[in-house]
Amino acid sequence: MAPPAPIDCETAVRRLWDFLDGELGAMSNAEVEIHLATCARCVPHFTFATGMLDAVAASRRVPGDLEPLRARVVAALETSGFRGTRT
Amino acid sequence: MRRLLRRCLSASFTLVTDQCASTSHVHEAEQSPASRDPTVDSPGEQVAPHTVDAARDAVFEREVLACLSDVTRYARSLTHDEAAADDLVQDTFLLAYRGYHTFRAGEDVRRWLFTICRRAFLRDRMRSSRVVTTDEGTDAELDTLAAVTGHAAAQRAGEDMLFERFDLGPAIEHAIAALPEVFRRAVVLVDVEGEGYEEAAEIESVPVGTIRSRLFRGRRLLQEQLLDFARDAGYQSANTPPSITAASPTVIRPRRAPRHASDAQMHAAESTT
Repeated sequence: MAPPAPIDCETAVRRLWDFLDGELGAMSNAEVEIHLATCARCVPHFTFATGMLDAVAASRRVPGDLEPLRARVVAALETSGFRGTRT
Repeated sequence: MRRLLRRCLSASFTLVTDQCASTSHVHEAEQSPASRDPTVDSPGEQVAPHTVDAARDAVFEREVLACLSDVTRYARSLTHDEAAADDLVQDTFLLAYRGYHTFRAGEDVRRWLFTICRRAFLRDRMRSSRVVTTDEGTDAELDTLAAVTGHAAAQRAGEDMLFERFDLGPAIEHAIAALPEVFRRAVVLVDVEGEGYEEAAEIESVPVGTIRSRLFRGRRLLQEQLLDFARDAGYQSANTPPSITAASPTVIRPRRAPRHASDAQMHAAESTT
């Protein structure tokens, strides 16, 4: 396989989200990695985007007490024949 | 009209369950035709003639009901209303129970439930005629470049370190809730729930390119809102904006292990969005 070709900054930042999401092909991924290793201009954009995605992922919360809802769901399921072990 | 709507909804659910239709489930023989029709008006009021099967129910309880927390969070992201979300969660599990014979062992239970939940949500919304149309976000690359341009402006103003130095948790929840629905659904599935593009596309029943476009537009809007929030809150980095004259030693890696789809597929996606 041919080595990754150099890419310019615009090409690199066009691939920003695909790269961070792990959705690029192997060659495209390698091209971005090599570009970032040598381009101080693009790195902050990728760092910022990573920070945003990390912050959004960290905003995920486990809903509070779900026992009342669970009991309600189980009661509804029982009308369809469900017989759970906790009911 | 109501009959036509029911027929459409029935066909819609069939699309979900047909994906698993070839699976031979241990309890398949016990399903009656009535139990395959999950699109009744008020699922809770109907008593389907299921044969009680303790083994199947134990598996359902252990593997499907265990996703209650995930489904509740997803339902709340769809409805923006806790009471409506609870109704949606109940409907989702009822539909899942009635269609459980079609679930293929080894498939992702959570993804299956999200698909059912989304379809039930859209069904309810269609019934109440509150369909909202919005711009789809058809140019993924343009939205990516706009996000980068927005960051560059924030960088020049010394406002770009907000994620490292600011508690944005409540602001992020508010910003996600304020996104137009199709973009919010994509952001929630990929960025909050951690699904990949293909998996999110499967849940949304749209092409991968559509999810990608919606996601990138959603992220761009989210970024704009968060930067506005930081500005309104008077945030400005005390430090000088980072130098761009020397190569940074920071190593940037994909946040998820690269899927390594073929480059040809990638370029095709790039050229069609």
